[in-house]
Amino acid sequence: MQQEVVLAMLAKEPSQGYQLRARLDQALGPLGEGLNAGHLYVTLGRLEKAGLVALEGAEVSSARSERKVYQLTPAGAERVAEWLSEVSWPKPDLAEFHLKLIAAAQAGLADPIGIVNAQRRELLRRLREAQQAAVDEPDRSDAALLLEGIALRLQADLRWLEACEQTWTERRRTR
Amino acid sequence: MGKLLLVYRLAVKDVRHRPAQALLLLLAIAAGAATLTLGLALGGTTNNPYARTKAATSGPDVVADVAPSGFSGTANASELAPLEHTSGVVAHSGPFPVTWALLRTGHATAGAEVEGRSAAPSPVDQPTMLRGSWLRPGGVVVEAGFADALGLRVGDRLTLGARSFRVDGIAVTAAFPSYTQLCSLGCTLVGAVGNYDPGLVWVSQADVAPLAGGSEPVEYFLNLKLADPGAAAGFAARYSAHAFPAGPGANPSLSGLSLTAWQDIRASDAKALANVRLVLLTGSWLLALLALASVAVLVGGRMAEQTRRVGLLKAVGGTPRLVAVVLLAENALVGLCAAAVGLLAGWLAGPLINGAGAGLLGAPSIPPLTGSTVGIVIALALAVAIVATFVPAIRAAGQSTVAALEDAARPPGRRAWAIRLSAHLPATLLVGVRLAVRRPRRLVLSVFSVAVTASGLVAVLILHTSSAGWSLGPRVTEATTIVSVMLVVLAAVNAVFIAWTTVIEARHPAALTRALGATPKQITAGLSVTQLLPALIGALLGIPGGIGIYDAAKNGGATTIPSVIGLVLIVAVTLLVIAVLTAIPARIGARRPVAEVLQAETA
Amino acid sequence: MTTDSPIARACALRKDYGKNESLVRAVDGVDLDIAQGETLAVMGPSGCGKSTLLHLLGGLDRPSGGELWLHGKRIDLMSERALAQVRHRDVGFVFQAFHLMDELTARENLELPMLLAGRSPRAARRRAADLLEQVGLADRSAHLPSALSGGQRQRVAVARALANEPLLILADEPTGNLDSAATLEILRLFKRLHAAGQTLVIVTHDERIAATADRLISMRDGVFVDETRLTGGTGGGLSALIGLEG
Repeated sequence: MQQEVVLAMLAKEPSQGYQLRARLDQALGPLGEGLNAGHLYVTLGRLEKAGLVALEGAEVSSARSERKVYQLTPAGAERVAEWLSEVSWPKPDLAEFHLKLIAAAQAGLADPIGIVNAQRRELLRRLREAQQAAVDEPDRSDAALLLEGIALRLQADLRWLEACEQTWTERRRTR
Repeated sequence: MGKLLLVYRLAVKDVRHRPAQALLLLLAIAAGAATLTLGLALGGTTNNPYARTKAATSGPDVVADVAPSGFSGTANASELAPLEHTSGVVAHSGPFPVTWALLRTGHATAGAEVEGRSAAPSPVDQPTMLRGSWLRPGGVVVEAGFADALGLRVGDRLTLGARSFRVDGIAVTAAFPSYTQLCSLGCTLVGAVGNYDPGLVWVSQADVAPLAGGSEPVEYFLNLKLADPGAAAGFAARYSAHAFPAGPGANPSLSGLSLTAWQDIRASDAKALANVRLVLLTGSWLLALLALASVAVLVGGRMAEQTRRVGLLKAVGGTPRLVAVVLLAENALVGLCAAAVGLLAGWLAGPLINGAGAGLLGAPSIPPLTGSTVGIVIALALAVAIVATFVPAIRAAGQSTVAALEDAARPPGRRAWAIRLSAHLPATLLVGVRLAVRRPRRLVLSVFSVAVTASGLVAVLILHTSSAGWSLGPRVTEATTIVSVMLVVLAAVNAVFIAWTTVIEARHPAALTRALGATPKQITAGLSVTQLLPALIGALLGIPGGIGIYDAAKNGGATTIPSVIGLVLIVAVTLLVIAVLTAIPARIGARRPVAEVLQAETA
Repeated sequence: MTTDSPIARACALRKDYGKNESLVRAVDGVDLDIAQGETLAVMGPSGCGKSTLLHLLGGLDRPSGGELWLHGKRIDLMSERALAQVRHRDVGFVFQAFHLMDELTARENLELPMLLAGRSPRAARRRAADLLEQVGLADRSAHLPSALSGGQRQRVAVARALANEPLLILADEPTGNLDSAATLEILRLFKRLHAAGQTLVIVTHDERIAATADRLISMRDGVFVDETRLTGGTGGGLSALIGLEG
């Protein structure tokens, strides 16, 4: 769970663990189903150690984790503000797949086209799931918007895989 | 100067780019121009030809004739004698014997009024030869209009009565009205000759009596020249009423003496032409209307492209004025060429109508194109071209540049009532009706075009049926034929063009309808229906239209209702012709591969 | 539900354009079986012949060779007249450019194929209203296409394809001219049709549409190069799609 996300979720008001969890569920819809509560608390713990989050009140040791009330520290608030204004976009990891293909071809370990097709099938299945989920969501809900982003990304990746297949096929032909 | 050149270049380029359309526009206007030329030229021929003939032949101011009592036997020539010396008479010729006989050529039979003359020239009324020579023994001279109608030439043989004669010459005279109007002032027609409208021939005097043979009367004609030609009418009136002291043996109560003034003869002559002229003038109006309809269709069809061109011109810096000027210049260019073509066609076709003038001196050759004729025709052709393009030019020039550039074709019209109605019809009619109402203006122009043509044909039908028994004469028949043919040709061009435009424009809906399950036959038939519906309406409208035109042209008298069979025939033939003309474009339009058309439309 | 005999079948199907040097094999020996009730997607780059294949299946074009069967009848041998019957009875087409008649309202556009098939105007009107309701456009039945959004127009087009209860719906790039939201509308519609047992063949180069099919065929240069079954077995669950773990 990315730390900045949890921090930002706290920015609205000091909240208990389960409230945070509820907000995340709401925002992610069906995609949040696999969200592990434990990971959330681990992240909160790390944030507390880093001084970005503080526990409210004196019930520190005995209270159960869910009941603890977390709040942002000034440093935390500053970090949130910074994060909100950052424009870095998560990097897709194409280089790894690209190298995978080249390595396979050079070492003669596997047919690169076979690898591409297998990856394509997998991405298509994922796209199918995302699309099915999107269809079931009410229009313009938070989750629907996220699903659209996922679908479009997968689509872009699939297009690149298509290009990979074409290029590697031609290479094989001209060899 | 540079602007002018630019305009010229742009206009010419566009015409060259779409030659077929420009050609059709030209044809449409040229047809109207040609008819107008003919009509005007003929009008020229009728200016004072009688006067020229009278001067050349020493024509009589008064013609007196005496008929036998009881209309049989030979008249008493001495009854005419007193007239020769009456005050006011300065010269005379005759009396000449006149009878009637059946004339037969190789391929025609006609009635002939036969005047007996001597080989020696007469002081009054010596017919002027157009071709050949004057009387020789065994020969006959034929009046020019009559000869033309029978197709007689010098040297031909014919039979008059029972005898064979040789055509010695063809002449004109001012003493009798020219052919078809010969008997307009009264003839004594007895027996078989009464079935025909006679023409005039001259034979030697000695041949007249045997021709009459006892069954036909023999009259005597006296030609008089007066000191005062203007007093001829009074002279004729005065002396007709008097019975002169008869010679021995004459029965005064039964003798027929009648006098005719030259003004009446001239009026009859003009009548022969008047009919033709009327036919041609009416025809020109109808053709002009048709030409206007063609132009409207052609121009309307080009409007989308014109608008885009306007946009382009404006986008590269042309002012709205320049744009309008270019559009007008283009169509004026076509109009001028059309005027030239029409004038040429009319000039060449002149001889066809010329015959009516053949009976009157001065027109064996093609009537010259007078300056005023040329001027009128050019002006009218230009006017038609300009007026018909005025609206789109102004409209296009006023649009914003962007709108003009993006201007897609006008969206099709929606007629909810037609859509609702057609839902109840079988597939073919459904397709046809819906396609027809997509472009209401084109529909109206179709109806108009057919209605004008049908009106013309109905009027001609009435003309022919109402003259049954009294022949119209070959000139009028030729004129009506020519007008009818031109109407039909122009209407056919219109129909084909409208059909093509419809088919091209209906490409997408036709393909779509086929994709939804219509068979090509249904589409073909539907496209035909699109043309047949307005044709039917137009043909039916042509019936009252034709009656109205005939009445208006006739100027008075009872309304003549044409024969029902003729009307049914006109409507049926119209529909048949339209169906045939539009069958090919319809078939082609229905057979294009569906996928191709639909793909193209998405581009 | 699937029955044993396929609803449509192509054997060695071919379509050529041009001749001699300019000969183009748009479809070059394609074998295809379409089972009843399945959704089939055909993907490929432009010019690969997928649209041509669809036109052949729908009787909009004639093959140059091979056999084509639809519901047990050989349609490549049919006359134009019989093909027209096929088009309004057995097959419904959805085009990328919608191809609605501009001068007809939504309802009248739906009525047209029914009228061509010989239905009475009243029955046609009733079914049109029904179909518009199914696609969620009952309140737009009197609107002209110019007054409808792209997605709405395509929904009308899909409804029109359904008008005569066809065996097969053929869709050629149905979402090609639509934005994301409208694409979703169409996807929902297709999903409902699929659930109701309608056989669908979709030609597309939008992977999002293709991914919703039961079977996905890749086409290149007029031949099939790959076939994937996308139903059954997904890995990871939805949340694997987002990298929120770890």
